[in-house]
Amino acid sequence: MRVSISNCPSSAKAIAVETVRAPLGGLQVVVRASGVAAAYAARLLGTMGGKVLLIEPDGGSPLRREPPFLPCQDGKPGATSALFAYLAAGMGSEVVDLNVADGEARLSELLHSADIFIDDTPVDERAALGLDEAAIAARHPQLVHVSVLPFGASGPKCGWKGEDIVIQHAGGEGNLLPNGLAVEMFPDRAPLKIGGQFGTMQGGIAAALGALSALWARPESGGQYVDVSCQDANLAVGAFAIQRLGDGSIEHRVERSFRYGGVIPCEDGYLELLTLEQRQWDGLVELLGNPAWALDPALKDSLERSRRGPEINEHIRAWAAVRKVDEIVSAGQKLGVPLARYKTPAQILADPQERHRGVFQKVDVEDAGELNVLVSPFHFDAAPLTLEGGPPSLRDASILAQAQG
Amino acid sequence: MAKPLAGIRIADFTVHNAGPFCTHLLSQLGAEVIKIESAMRPDAFRKPHPVYGRMGPATFDQVASTKMSVRINLKKAEGIALAKRIVAVSDIAAESFRPGVMDRLGLGYEALKAVKDDIVMLSVSSSGQSGPDSHFAGYAPLFGAWGGLGELTGYEDGPPVEIRHVMDHTVGMNSAVAVMAALQRRRATGQGGHVDVAAREVAASLVGDMLLLAAAGGVPARQGNAHARMAPHGVYPAKGEDRWLAFAITSDAEWRALTGLMGRAELATDQRFVDEPHRQANRVALDAIVSEWTVTQDANEAAAKLQQAGIGAHASWTTPEIAGDEHLRARRAIVEVAEPDGKLRAAVGVPMRLSKGAEIGIHRGTPKLGEHEDHVYGNLLGIGRDERRALEDAEVIY
Repeated sequence: MRVSISNCPSSAKAIAVETVRAPLGGLQVVVRASGVAAAYAARLLGTMGGKVLLIEPDGGSPLRREPPFLPCQDGKPGATSALFAYLAAGMGSEVVDLNVADGEARLSELLHSADIFIDDTPVDERAALGLDEAAIAARHPQLVHVSVLPFGASGPKCGWKGEDIVIQHAGGEGNLLPNGLAVEMFPDRAPLKIGGQFGTMQGGIAAALGALSALWARPESGGQYVDVSCQDANLAVGAFAIQRLGDGSIEHRVERSFRYGGVIPCEDGYLELLTLEQRQWDGLVELLGNPAWALDPALKDSLERSRRGPEINEHIRAWAAVRKVDEIVSAGQKLGVPLARYKTPAQILADPQERHRGVFQKVDVEDAGELNVLVSPFHFDAAPLTLEGGPPSLRDASILAQAQG
Repeated sequence: MAKPLAGIRIADFTVHNAGPFCTHLLSQLGAEVIKIESAMRPDAFRKPHPVYGRMGPATFDQVASTKMSVRINLKKAEGIALAKRIVAVSDIAAESFRPGVMDRLGLGYEALKAVKDDIVMLSVSSSGQSGPDSHFAGYAPLFGAWGGLGELTGYEDGPPVEIRHVMDHTVGMNSAVAVMAALQRRRATGQGGHVDVAAREVAASLVGDMLLLAAAGGVPARQGNAHARMAPHGVYPAKGEDRWLAFAITSDAEWRALTGLMGRAELATDQRFVDEPHRQANRVALDAIVSEWTVTQDANEAAAKLQQAGIGAHASWTTPEIAGDEHLRARRAIVEVAEPDGKLRAAVGVPMRLSKGAEIGIHRGTPKLGEHEDHVYGNLLGIGRDERRALEDAEVIY
C-alpha cells in the first residue's frame, strides 16, 4: 500500500511523503486498557500497521478522564483527554460490558479473530470475567495473550497497584533523580520522577516487544501468555545502576552528575552540554574562545577535568549566561561539541528536523479539531509511518456496541 | 522448546548503549548476536572510563552479555568483505554510528541488501538518518533535551533535568520492537527493509500527550512530582535519612482509606479535601499533612500497609534494595551472573515472562574480544585455518 499524507503543521506547506507497506499490516490486536502501559503497547503495534480495537467498559476507559483536556476549537475548555487522544489515535473502539454474559461472548468472538490480546485487568478480577490465563488459552489456543500490570501477574507483589510515580520509584530511577543542576539547586528536596508517563510507557514498550516475540514463535509454539511488569521494564532500562552496584559503586542522585557540562542556563533558555571525548573538549575550548583558564595544560587530562569540574562549570555558566541557546548550539555542533537546546513542546512542533522527518500527522480529534499528533519514532525504508485517524469517539463505540447487541 | 527468537542471527555493529541494549534484549530472547569490534576500536566497556571512575576495563557489561564476539578491522577492505560475509548469513544487521558512516564504510543498506536480499537493517542515531540535524552528535541527555522529555522533567520552579542511561535504553527497547515488526513483515512478504530509529523522536514519543496539548494551544510545563488530577500524589519523606515513599491517591475511596491509615479520620469530611478538585486546589496543605504522617513511617512498611488498603505505593528504592528483592528475583527481573573469576553478581533480566519455550534471559556473561571466532569464522562461514591465519596476519581479523 502506498499513500500520500500531509506531514507538516498547519502553518507549513504540506508535502507529500510516500509510505511503504506498514510492517504489521494484517495484524489484529484487541486491547483492554484502563492504564497507560496496555494502551501504549497497543499504540506501538497500531502505528506500525496493526488493526487495534480498544474494548471499553460502559462510560469509556478511565484514560478518557485523565487531564489535561484539549481545548475546543473555539478556545473553550474541552473534555477530550490529551493522554487518551495520543494513546488511542488510530484505534477502533467498542463498548463491551464484561459483567454480563453477552459481553463475555462478544469479547470471545473478537478474540477468536485476533492475533494479540493485551490486558491490564488486575489479576484477582480476571477469573470472574473469563480473562484469566487458563480460560483464554483454552478458548483461543493461537492467541498471544499479553498481561501488563504495574508489578506483573506473578510474584509476591503481583497484586500491588501503582501509578507512574510509584513505578518509577519501585524501578530505581526515581530515587536517582534529579541530577546535575537541579540537585545542585535543591539538594534537600524529594527525589523526582521523569515527566509524563515514562514509567508506565516502559511497561508498554516491553509488552509490545513481548507480544511480537511470542508472535514470532507462534508457528512452532502456538499462542502463549506473556506476563509483563512495568517495574521490571523500568529496572531493565535502568540496568546500569545494577551494573555499577556490581562494580562496587552505589549510585546516588547527588553524586551522579557529570562533573562539568550538563544543564547550562543561557540568556533565553537551557542547553545540554556533554563532552566525553578529548576532541569534544578541544572543540568546547575553541567554542569558548580559547580562554586562558581552559588552556591550562593540566586540563588536557580528562581525570583532572573531572576533578576540577565545578570550577570549569563556573566558567562555562558565566560564559553561557549572556549568550543565546541557538547561537551556542549552532556554533558548537560545527566544532563537534555535543550540544542541544532543551526544547519546549511548541518548539518541537515547529522544528525543521521534526517537520522534515514527518514526525507529526494531522488527525481529527473530537471537539478539538484537526491537530498534529506524533505518530512514531520509527521510519521504515526511509518513510514515516501513518495513523489511520484520530482517537475513537465513545459515542461511536457505544453505537457499535448497541448494533452488536 | 526453544527461546522465541531462536534461529535469528544478528550482525551487531552497534556501539555505546542504545543500539547494544536493543541487540542485548533480542539476544536474551534467543537471537544469536555476533558483536563486531576490533582491538583498534574495542567496545567502551573494554576500556577505562573516567566519567564512571573506572580505571580499567569493566569485568561485566550488561549490554554485551549473551552476545558472541568477533574481531574485524573495518578500516581494511578485506574487513568490510568479511563483515559482509557475516551479514550474508544473518537476518538482521544493527548499527548505531552517525548517519553516513556505514555508507562510507561500504556497509550501507543497499550494500548489505546486495549480499542478503531480505536483510533487516537497523540504524539507531540521535536525530535519524535524514533531515537537517541528522549529522548531530548526541548522547542520552541530548536526546532527552531535543525530544522535550528533559524540558518536562524537573521541579516546577527549577531547571530541566538530564535523562541519562534510561534514555539510551528505552531507545534500545523501542528499536527491538521496531526490528521485530520488520521481521514480521519479512515473514509475511519476503521483504527485508531499513529500520531507522531516531533517539530524539523516541524521547518525544514519551511525551506525545504533551506535544498534542501544545498543538492544541496549551502550554505544558514541568510539574515536579505533582499530577493534574490526583492528590495526594508525590514522593513523601519517610523515617530515616534520605528515605522516601511514593504513592498516589486515585479516588475518593482511597483518600478515605488513607485518612484511616493516618489515624486522621476527621480529614475524610474536611471540606478542603472532600473530593479530587478540592484536594488538588489545596495540594500544598494536603502534602504537608500527609508528610507529617509519612515521616514517622518506615517506607517499606508503609508501602505494604497502603497496598493492603488498596492504595498504589512503593518505597523509593535504592539500587541495593532492588538487587536483593524477592519479587524481582522471583520474576527473574534480577538474576545472578558469574564473572570470569566465578564471583556472582546481580544483573538485570529481560523484562517479560513467557509461558512457553526455554527460559529467556542472560545465559552467558560478557564475551572476551574475539572469543567466538571459532564458531563464527569456522562453523558459520566455513573459513579454513590457513585463511583465518592469513586474515589475522593481514590485521583484518584484529
